[in-house]
Amino acid sequence: MSKLKTSHIVETCVWIVIVAVFFGFSFEFNQEIEIYIFGATGWPRVILAILLAVVLGNFLQLYKKGSEAQKGRIGITDDDEDIKYNSFRSAQKLIAILMLPFLYALSLKPVGFYSATPFFIAFVIMLLGEKRIKWILANTVFIYFLIILLFMVLLNAPLPQGNVSPFYDFSALMLTLNTKLHQSFSF
Amino acid sequence: MIDNFIAGSVALFGDPFSIGIFIFGVIGGMLFGAIPGVSMLTLAAILLPFTANFDPAQGVMLFAVIYCTGTYGGAITAILFNIPGAPENAPTSFDGYPMTRNGQSGKAVGAAVLCSAIGGVSSAVVMMAATEPLANWAISNIGPPEIFALVFFGLAVASSVGGRTIWKGWISVLCGLLIATIGQDPVGGINRYNFGFADLAAGIAFVPAILGFFAVSEIFVQAEKKAIGKFVAPELSFDFPTILELWINKIAVVRSILVGFFCGILPGIGATLAAFMGYGEAVRWSKNKEEFGKGKLEGVISSETANNAATGAAMIPLLALGLPGGAMTALMVGVFQMHDLEPGPMVFYNSPDLIWIVFSAMFYANLSILFIGLIETKTILYLLKIPFQFLAPMILLLSSIGSYIGRGLVLDVMIMFGAGIIGFLLRRSGYSIPGIVLGIILGKIGEQNFAQGMQMVHYDIVEYLSRPICLLLIVAGLLTLLTGVYRAVSFSMKD
Repeated sequence: MSKLKTSHIVETCVWIVIVAVFFGFSFEFNQEIEIYIFGATGWPRVILAILLAVVLGNFLQLYKKGSEAQKGRIGITDDDEDIKYNSFRSAQKLIAILMLPFLYALSLKPVGFYSATPFFIAFVIMLLGEKRIKWILANTVFIYFLIILLFMVLLNAPLPQGNVSPFYDFSALMLTLNTKLHQSFSF
Repeated sequence: MIDNFIAGSVALFGDPFSIGIFIFGVIGGMLFGAIPGVSMLTLAAILLPFTANFDPAQGVMLFAVIYCTGTYGGAITAILFNIPGAPENAPTSFDGYPMTRNGQSGKAVGAAVLCSAIGGVSSAVVMMAATEPLANWAISNIGPPEIFALVFFGLAVASSVGGRTIWKGWISVLCGLLIATIGQDPVGGINRYNFGFADLAAGIAFVPAILGFFAVSEIFVQAEKKAIGKFVAPELSFDFPTILELWINKIAVVRSILVGFFCGILPGIGATLAAFMGYGEAVRWSKNKEEFGKGKLEGVISSETANNAATGAAMIPLLALGLPGGAMTALMVGVFQMHDLEPGPMVFYNSPDLIWIVFSAMFYANLSILFIGLIETKTILYLLKIPFQFLAPMILLLSSIGSYIGRGLVLDVMIMFGAGIIGFLLRRSGYSIPGIVLGIILGKIGEQNFAQGMQMVHYDIVEYLSRPICLLLIVAGLLTLLTGVYRAVSFSMKD
């Protein structure tokens, strides 16, 4: 009897779409290479063909056995425990945690590392369940200064400065302070 | 050899500045390897411009020391947080992290310290004794067909571990190989799959992908557990492995040294494949296969011995042939070039001092893993005491910086977080993250060597397989693959 769930069908469809998209795009670089008979598309298309065959093998296994782990498999690092959401709020929280780093990455170009980072730290701490405001503030300040000390002061690593005022001006101020600090300690 | 080693040691420890660089390299490598989110590569990339002011021997020595200690350092995060510091530590997490969950973190970290030191020191000794003959053997016996065959075998081994089923293991590896096709093709330089982004012409950078799949996805997995109230903080333990426990695994240590050394010596392969194959061989020869992945000490021992054994061996193609074996040795080529030197056979004749300072430094760096590592372990285990809500932002920030620094592109930070989300979803569905990462690492190497190998044999498959090492590795890979498929099919057929 079939043990297929909707999630298994979605999973298989996603892989097939990936194979189709990559195969479609492979016509964009379907050029011959004089010194190599398989050309630029040979290797990716072989991978796509094998991937399609393996996805079908996976689908058959899902059909017969569902999500059950194959006996004797090694190194399955994640727990088998079923993840179940008790409330809509838990799911909302997870989506927020997944999206927050993306928003942070998007903000790096206009806002810059120096201005965006403290907000990012505080929001992550909050989303992970910390409710005590004093702890959130203290840890935000501590982590921010630790990172600044290591990467800006000690290693002089080039970090995104932003391109929108007043964030850019704040980054410039931080870098000026760093230069002055280096000059005063002559290192 | 002994005279040269003593001369190298005197040159290393006779100069206070060299001693300072050595100590900085040892501690820096261990720390950057052990801080979740950054790696020895981050440190090396940051330090590269500074080495212009050093003597060439000091510059190369610093990177060699970071390579040895950083390879060990990455095991700590793999064991404590399931976040391998570098891809070569990924198989360490298969058993190391379950050991932490079982309250045996001290035992796992202790075994990693000891076996990294044993693997590294053995490899350094062989490297000192036999760099030139081994390099000559490699030149005459190893070519693109053998390297492709080893990549194939390595991927077959990787597909057999990590995924919930063999199919998922293979999908993971193939997904990594597909990601590796993004960017210019290695034969004709034609742009593939850049989807309109000019920055993707250079391909998906290796560091953001690794940080995303390993570090960020692990944060998301733990965050999910926090969100649904299933998060359990791992227990702290300081129980080190006993002499008896280590003695029982002596064969695993010797086997991993051999596997690690063989993989390390091959140009382009390096410590990552060594760790996977060391682990895979431990499983293959074990009588209790089912215990692997649930917190078996032998798993940690095999992987950590093999990856450190590869560090010394990886220096052989670099120094004797000028071919880097991985990202870290590629950065060392950068140090050579900054000083108008070219690594290769002439270095042995033009700069013997440099060679022996580097060899001695690697030997002492591996020894220092044992002493400093044991002291550091006791401190680093306290990382487990930091509440997750305060550790997570630190890991995410360090990962963001580590991704950005390589090429100075915000796109790389986005790729990292994208890889984190994809990794999180794939892990939920039972796919193997180490398999994906190994596919990304070996994809370009495999394609390049396949193309070169085919050109060498004029596309004659019989001639390709008439090379004994090549045939052996292809057959071993096919056997691994077919055994896996047979098991999967018979599992599906059973009611």
